[in-house]
Amino acid sequence: MSLLHVYDVVKRFGGLAAVDGAHLEVEERSITALIGPNGAGKTTLFNLISGFVRPDRGSVRLGEVRIDARPPHAVNRCGLVRTFQTPRALTRMSVLENVLLAAPDQSGERLWRLVASPRAVRRREREVEDEARELLRLVRLESHAHDYAGTLSGGERKLLEFARALMTAPRIVLLDEPMAGVNPTLALQLLDHMRTLREERGLTFLLIDHDLEAVMSVSDRVVVMNEGRVIAAGTPDEVRADPLVVDAYLGTHGRAAD
Amino acid sequence: MTIVSLQFWAFVGVVAGIYTILALGLQVQFGFTGLLNFGHAAFMAVGAYTMAILVVKTGWPLWAASLAAIAVAMAFGLLLGLPTLRLRADYLAITTIAFAEIVRYVAINEQGLTGGPVGTIALAGPGEAASYNREWLDFQGSVQDRLESVLGDDATRDVTMLILVWIVALVLLVLVEAAVRTPWGRVLKSIREDEDAAAALGKNVFAYKLQALTIGAALAAIAGLFFAFQFSFFSPGDFDPLVTFFAYTIVILGGTARNWAVPVGAVVFGVIFAGTRFFDFAPFSLLESGERAYVRLIVIGLVLIGLILFRPQGLLGRRDEMVLE
Amino acid sequence: MTELLQLGANGLVTGSIIAIGAVGVSLVYGILRIVNFAHGDYLVFGAYVALAVNVGWNGHIVLAAIAAIAATAVLAVGLEFTLWRPLRRKGAGLFSLFIAAIGLALVLRHVVFLVGEARPRRYDVDVFQVHELGGVRLSQSQLIAVAIAFAAIVLVGLMLARTGLGKAMRALSDNRSLAAVAGIDVDRTVGLTWMLAGGLAGIAGLLQALILNAFTPNFGFLLLLPIFAAVVLGGIGSAYGALVGGVALGLAMEVSTWDALAGGAPAVYKPVVAFGVLIVVLLLRPQGVFGKARVL
Repeated sequence: MSLLHVYDVVKRFGGLAAVDGAHLEVEERSITALIGPNGAGKTTLFNLISGFVRPDRGSVRLGEVRIDARPPHAVNRCGLVRTFQTPRALTRMSVLENVLLAAPDQSGERLWRLVASPRAVRRREREVEDEARELLRLVRLESHAHDYAGTLSGGERKLLEFARALMTAPRIVLLDEPMAGVNPTLALQLLDHMRTLREERGLTFLLIDHDLEAVMSVSDRVVVMNEGRVIAAGTPDEVRADPLVVDAYLGTHGRAAD
Repeated sequence: MTIVSLQFWAFVGVVAGIYTILALGLQVQFGFTGLLNFGHAAFMAVGAYTMAILVVKTGWPLWAASLAAIAVAMAFGLLLGLPTLRLRADYLAITTIAFAEIVRYVAINEQGLTGGPVGTIALAGPGEAASYNREWLDFQGSVQDRLESVLGDDATRDVTMLILVWIVALVLLVLVEAAVRTPWGRVLKSIREDEDAAAALGKNVFAYKLQALTIGAALAAIAGLFFAFQFSFFSPGDFDPLVTFFAYTIVILGGTARNWAVPVGAVVFGVIFAGTRFFDFAPFSLLESGERAYVRLIVIGLVLIGLILFRPQGLLGRRDEMVLE
Repeated sequence: MTELLQLGANGLVTGSIIAIGAVGVSLVYGILRIVNFAHGDYLVFGAYVALAVNVGWNGHIVLAAIAAIAATAVLAVGLEFTLWRPLRRKGAGLFSLFIAAIGLALVLRHVVFLVGEARPRRYDVDVFQVHELGGVRLSQSQLIAVAIAFAAIVLVGLMLARTGLGKAMRALSDNRSLAAVAGIDVDRTVGLTWMLAGGLAGIAGLLQALILNAFTPNFGFLLLLPIFAAVVLGGIGSAYGALVGGVALGLAMEVSTWDALAGGAPAVYKPVVAFGVLIVVLLLRPQGVFGKARVL
């Protein structure tokens, strides 16, 4: 069953259509890769799905819920989380705080609840902290828990964003180049974690990445975009064999992009 | 007056206490949430004027008028925030300063409502000197009587006010500090750092900005109330945009996003501001008192520039935090 | 009808002064992302330099104008070297630049207060000579102001459109790193932009002081918000937009007092009209009325 449906989405900036009638289905509990040459509209599509940009036309649904008219925070509360191409670490907050922030259902984020039921807030804060430390262990950042996030390297920030995204207890995670700048060993582990999380928690992943080999090896499905449209979708093998894809992307730019 | 006069420094301390409350509001808005509010003085004005108008024109008791004043300032915060808080930071700065100027123009020109350019003394209409703080003076007098048994002759009006204003300032400081240490405060800080990231993690950025602006407005209104109590009458000129800039100076002087740095910043500011009165050596001795006021403002301006250039973390902030921006 | 024409004429005078102040603010913002809160005080500086020449040394007003332009341009370039460039080198963000501009505004204004005195001052020109053109009465100073301001507007427009420097400025405000790659000397262009912004501020300050007749160093701040409003109206960062925005705003401020408009706004609320326009434009069309999403 598919979890995320993107139907005929169009977004123009000025006269230029960044996304021009894209269709996309992401199966529940799948790992789907979104690939395509630079300027194909992948990041814009992410922005459209996650509510940061409103489509001029078309619809986006998560399960049965239409999310294309909702603001980003409301989309997140429906169970969809995204990361950013340039990592958005909250630099003057600690690494741990970055992850704690992402916890859902923290009633202590409301002022009146802080006054009305401070105990419930503290109890939840303890739960959340255990979970956050667990996630930091997963991405090997536990030793940096109390450092400012601004002291992390680019790759470490990517990992922090990954942990932060998982902290929101999502159904689907959109990762924009999660492995860029991450050291190769850790990147492979990250892919392993994605598979484990899918098995154990039933998570769904949609990711953009330029490391085609890695992406092809981990994904169940690959979606190829070019010039604002989805030009192919299928298993990695099917996509590799698709002449349209080879023409638009793999043959000409694929190796150069790495 | 001499430089060692207790009474003079008590007065400086009162002003520093009022500015502490004002700057604390800015700390919530700017220091923690990253909102560039350049109209802060307007909230102070709205607080002071609402109280004075309700007392003089409708005969409300002072405490009720004061609470209403805080509520009205918060309502102004909502009114300003609802349309503008979605704007980019630089646009927000420009709109808030325009809002503050509109408030000041209305205060100057709507004489029937505010007493006009001469100030609240004209609130009751021509030929009658209006006064809104009789109840406050009674209260302050009773406190002063009790203080006299401890402090003797030193328990003057300003010393009494010094104690009262700092009690309130410290209580508010503790409350704000407690609030920003909670998950709520964590969300504010995340918005300051990167509002897109906060939104992507499910935080309703707009709602939190609105809360920060409104709470800051309430603090500014409280500062306005104490200002009104201390000086017995006030006029639109007291809420010049300079007042907002002074509050920024205090926040940055102490250290952005550090609550305990606010009173330190306010006291240092008070000393710079008042201390320049004692520049009675050459070349300052050549200047008249009015001209020395300009020197004081030049010094404040240079302090701001110097801080940004050489010590952006302020007196109490951490250097490493600033380089992360 | 005559009244409307008169208001329109007054609006053109105010508007053209706002316009030449606004071009500088907009160019500096476009290229450096600095919202220069001190720009109003650059105007004041220019006006008082002219005062020193005109009244202090009995110089002709034209000589005073040249001195104002030169001195303010030097001031603006000097501040680029001593303040803005060091701040950029330190990686100062939007907030820091804002605060520094406020500090600078305080220093400039009160230095002028200290040196130029707080009492209202006036230039040594014949202010009582009045010209009548088709039922519209304009004072000598108003005529001078509108003529000079229009000349400045046309010159700046031509400069931006035709000269290499103008093209470099526009390229830089479009995309800084790309412009640097394309061989534009960034530091030089930035310096020249400040020189232009300063020179225009000098002339705008002189003209504003001239039409105010008697002025104090506070006029800079009062004019700053209409200038910002014009910048926003024209699309922040757009030089042409700022020119058009300034004139449009001047007209709106004056015409708002027209009796036929529901009795007209009281004249004291003219600045409020500017702030109102500013807020409404920001809410409805943050890219500006004349600006497209692109810059220039």
